[in-house]
Amino acid sequence: MLDVLRVVWFDLKHELYPPVWIGLQWFSFSIQIFIYGAIISQLVNIPSIGSYQMFYAVGFMVMMTFDVGSHAGREFVEAAHEGRLPYLLSLPISRSKLFLSIALKGGLELALMLLVPFTIVLSLIGNLTVISVLAAALALFFLGFGVAGLMLGLSFIAFKSSDLYVAITTGLSALLIRFSTVLYPLFYLAQAQPGYATVARFSPLTYGADLVHLFLGFNPNLFLNASIAIAVLTGLAVSTLGLGIFLLGRLVEGVKSG
Amino acid sequence: MYAVETQNLVKQYGKTQALKGLDFIVNEGEIMVLLGPNGSGKTTLLMILATVLKPTSGTAKVMGIDVAKYPTRVRQILGISFQDARGFWRHKPAEILRFHAAMCGVKKSERDDLINRVLKEMELWDARNKLFMQLSGGQAKRLEVAKILVQNPKFAIFDEPSSQVDLRGKRTIWEKILELKEKGATLLVATNEVREAEYLADRVTILENGKNIVCDTVQNLKDKIAGGDIVELELEHVENDSALQDELAKIPGTVKLAALQEDKFKIYVSMAEAWVPKMTSLCYERNIRVSSVRVTEPSLDDVFLSFTGKKLETTENA
Repeated sequence: MLDVLRVVWFDLKHELYPPVWIGLQWFSFSIQIFIYGAIISQLVNIPSIGSYQMFYAVGFMVMMTFDVGSHAGREFVEAAHEGRLPYLLSLPISRSKLFLSIALKGGLELALMLLVPFTIVLSLIGNLTVISVLAAALALFFLGFGVAGLMLGLSFIAFKSSDLYVAITTGLSALLIRFSTVLYPLFYLAQAQPGYATVARFSPLTYGADLVHLFLGFNPNLFLNASIAIAVLTGLAVSTLGLGIFLLGRLVEGVKSG
Repeated sequence: MYAVETQNLVKQYGKTQALKGLDFIVNEGEIMVLLGPNGSGKTTLLMILATVLKPTSGTAKVMGIDVAKYPTRVRQILGISFQDARGFWRHKPAEILRFHAAMCGVKKSERDDLINRVLKEMELWDARNKLFMQLSGGQAKRLEVAKILVQNPKFAIFDEPSSQVDLRGKRTIWEKILELKEKGATLLVATNEVREAEYLADRVTILENGKNIVCDTVQNLKDKIAGGDIVELELEHVENDSALQDELAKIPGTVKLAALQEDKFKIYVSMAEAWVPKMTSLCYERNIRVSSVRVTEPSLDDVFLSFTGKKLETTENA
């Protein structure tokens, strides 16, 4: 286990000294919520959700989770092309431990990124139980792992062409975020644009966003059935992480240079 | 037991076959140099032995351990210095070595002293706290080699260890590789630099298009070239002695004789050391004084040309 922690720390520490990227994410979140969120909440009025700024803040946090998750997947591909992956693959550590360290690093990165946004959201909403906070955090982690696994699962494309991989993942990210209930609840979308609502049901972000909103005390009638959302998120995380383990153990090989 | 043994090893990348049924052996305690142009399969072979790549078919064993069946066990006894030292842009040399040493099981109490010594030996001491991305190509390469020195493995792989390194740096790296051998390690060095191969090799394997063309000691490889040695024979007071030329041409090792002048010959010989005494005694028997004998051995480039029909430098540029 010490080996796993060593790899995690070796990979993570350069993001903390200095923590510029994390700080910028926190700063960007604060700007989005306190300036843009405050303005847009004056324009959007959906009575059943109360303050739209709160809904927007939670949605933006879910989008950040998606970004961090897909960044972890893309970083893996980058590591393969830059030579870091072949080095890690040559270390005296089993593939499963290596995968665990990559996943743990992704989880810790996600936790660090969300530390301030999550605290801000909780303090804005207030009056929450420990259970609901933990459940929301868990839902975010499952979403993050699922998205990272999804991007990792697509990494085989990058071994053929990294340009194609970037094009596909960028396009997919845009589609998954846009066609989801991150910023507007499903019932509202169904009334305003039924086609959009239908497509949104296929985005994993819809399930993540609905669950987190639900756990953080928003009106349960606005969202998808919680059991289905939990099942979808769990299924996504388990299947894509399973695929990741399979790829690392069986298929993924360091990209040969020279 | 061999340090490395591959049998009918094949590696396929899509439609391209990088290794085509390679049979290859490295003895324990020797430095085996893999010589071949880019694309000959050197790096692929090294990556398979380091368990970074998987063979498509065939077997590869390191110290008797099958790389496909027990990769983690292989990684515990092996160290690899990669061709391209990249990927840790925001890390510093000292922390890269600390991490590597820890991962490879170097005792905590020994780590700092060992790393400091290696940093100094590899002339990286002044750069120890620079970011990796600020290192020169030569420094990055020396750091890659330093990882092996810190690890001190039983079996070490070096993929073009001194490319992009200046002459002084090359010497340092070569000396360190020889030191590892003296400590009892087995070493496999892939290169397309003839001088590096000649300096380091106990034996050389020439790879071309994923196949093992020939494997032997440097001297034996040179001796295998028919007429590879060139003997320049300069005589005194000889005027068009065709009988002498005939006699010299009949010496068993002689492949070709060219008369540069009446008293100066260029003789292409196999294993000159065996036949030069015969040449000089022939002259002596005819009362002809030999004013100078100069023997030039073929280079490994000539060996490569002889076995593959291509110049190593030409194929590299192709």
